[in-house]
Amino acid sequence: MRYGYRVKMLLLLAAALAALLLGAGVGSVAVAPGDILAILANRLTGAPLPESLPPSYSAMVLDMRLPRVLLAFLTGAALAAGGAVMQSILQNPLASPFGMGVSSGAGLGAALVIVSGLTGGALGKFLLPSVSLGFALGSVFLVVFAASRLDRGMSNTTVILVGMVLSLFCNAVMNLLASSSPAYAQRIQLWQLGSFSMREWSAVWALAPALAAGLLFFMAFSRELDVMTFGEEQAASMGVELVKTKRRLLAAVAALTGTAVAFVGIIGFVDLIAPHVVRRWFGASHRRVLPASALFGGTFLVLCDLAARTLTPPREIPIGSITALLGAPFFLYIFFAGRMRR
Amino acid sequence: MLYVEHLSCGYGGPPVLRDVSFQVDAGEKLCVLGLNGCGKTTLLRALAGLLPCQGHIRLEGTGLVRLPARQRAKRVALMSQFSPAPFDYTVYETVMLGRYAHRRGLLSGESEEDHRAVEESLRRTGVWELRDRPVTELSGGQRQRVFLARTFAQAPQVILLDEPTNHLDLHFQAELMNTLRTWTAAESRCVVGVFHDINLALDFADMVLLLDQGKVLAHLPVRALTPELLNRLYGMDVAGFMKAMLRRWE
Repeated sequence: MRYGYRVKMLLLLAAALAALLLGAGVGSVAVAPGDILAILANRLTGAPLPESLPPSYSAMVLDMRLPRVLLAFLTGAALAAGGAVMQSILQNPLASPFGMGVSSGAGLGAALVIVSGLTGGALGKFLLPSVSLGFALGSVFLVVFAASRLDRGMSNTTVILVGMVLSLFCNAVMNLLASSSPAYAQRIQLWQLGSFSMREWSAVWALAPALAAGLLFFMAFSRELDVMTFGEEQAASMGVELVKTKRRLLAAVAALTGTAVAFVGIIGFVDLIAPHVVRRWFGASHRRVLPASALFGGTFLVLCDLAARTLTPPREIPIGSITALLGAPFFLYIFFAGRMRR
Repeated sequence: MLYVEHLSCGYGGPPVLRDVSFQVDAGEKLCVLGLNGCGKTTLLRALAGLLPCQGHIRLEGTGLVRLPARQRAKRVALMSQFSPAPFDYTVYETVMLGRYAHRRGLLSGESEEDHRAVEESLRRTGVWELRDRPVTELSGGQRQRVFLARTFAQAPQVILLDEPTNHLDLHFQAELMNTLRTWTAAESRCVVGVFHDINLALDFADMVLLLDQGKVLAHLPVRALTPELLNRLYGMDVAGFMKAMLRRWE
């Protein structure tokens, strides 16, 4: 059993590396995986580049492709891990961080910045992500606060309901903004569909530590998460400090997925699919589901991004539509294939 | 061993339980009877520490009301009628979760003792053979046995039963009650249960607590329970009803 787990984890890791190399290699000019590794080695250790490699390749891979695939990977990993945690906290296989207002809050924040026209310049580049992260955190805080005010035990139904109401409200305000300033409407809409075009190392450096910290935090709560999937009352009677644990986990999910969404926009379905696929292969225990979800989500999103920028050159398809196009039917299959078997 | 003194609690509105006091001795099985809404489930929830309440609940000298969740869970376990199982945990993993309160460190794995407790619980409830199956694939009766095993693995002194036999076939009901009887016979253990079925309750328990609108109507041994008392509690001729039911088998 344990042996099988290690082998599967290594396979997943290998798939993730392969996807990263593929993502960095494919584009208007193809770069072989060996060359990418050579470029990396040159950058990190100063090892000489092969003679055959055009010098412009190095800059293209290092400055454009690598940050983009890494950003895609980190985003996928963050969303997938956040999704796994949400599904367990709310004991609902369809739960998602986005249901807590993470996405609509972030969307509203982004729309405000776009409409205000403050997106240019060095300051503007980080203004949009920071404001939308702030809004994402704010809306989750509001959901948790309102839910615990309305219902002392902060039951899941209350959380889901309040989250839904707030999401709809934020969406309504965002649509109002978009329709009242048509000049910006398209940008707002594009932001919502998500994009990795902000392919900068700064985004990677911001998201990577957030992902590492978030994953470690979730792993520390893996037993609580296991217990909580069997129902809140049961969890409390088995010794879990329910409200406290739930609040901390929700805040962590909001911070992690909010950071991801703030940089790349709203990308759906990764958070839904990854944990379900992974539970198929690894069982339900969170000690395995969490890291495996992150790896799978990252790999999946790198491949989706690859499709998004290569299917209809030179135009890019918004990444959010790719994940939804692939994700919706795939999710239906994953979800029901298991039920039919029984 | 379990003392409940002047317990009052509710859900924010008027209290559901009012000044409830009783005690349960070691080895005793107490069942709580009363009409729907009389506070049976609320009493169990209060004993399990799921509700804020006033008054005292003491187990062998330890106050349970303000005890941290994990400390309490080492002493009191709750088994309810229905537990959702949304994901494919194996039977073994599910029962291991019962050891949650006994874990030592944040990242420490399962100890020898944990594995021993899980195996013993699985064998006690007769689901050892199912240990590698996902809980989602089990029948209702099997699943309930797994949750009973998880309750045992928690190694409590008090087990609270909230209609654990609902939706179960007759032979599963009988089996579950027998397993619990054996468990209670060991040292320093007791059971407090709420059952939908009066016959089952009276067959299982040694003592009854009659609750009427959140207050204790009577607390007495099962054999001292008179038809008059039952009729008063339920507002109908209980014995007459049961006898009429029995006549079907003649």
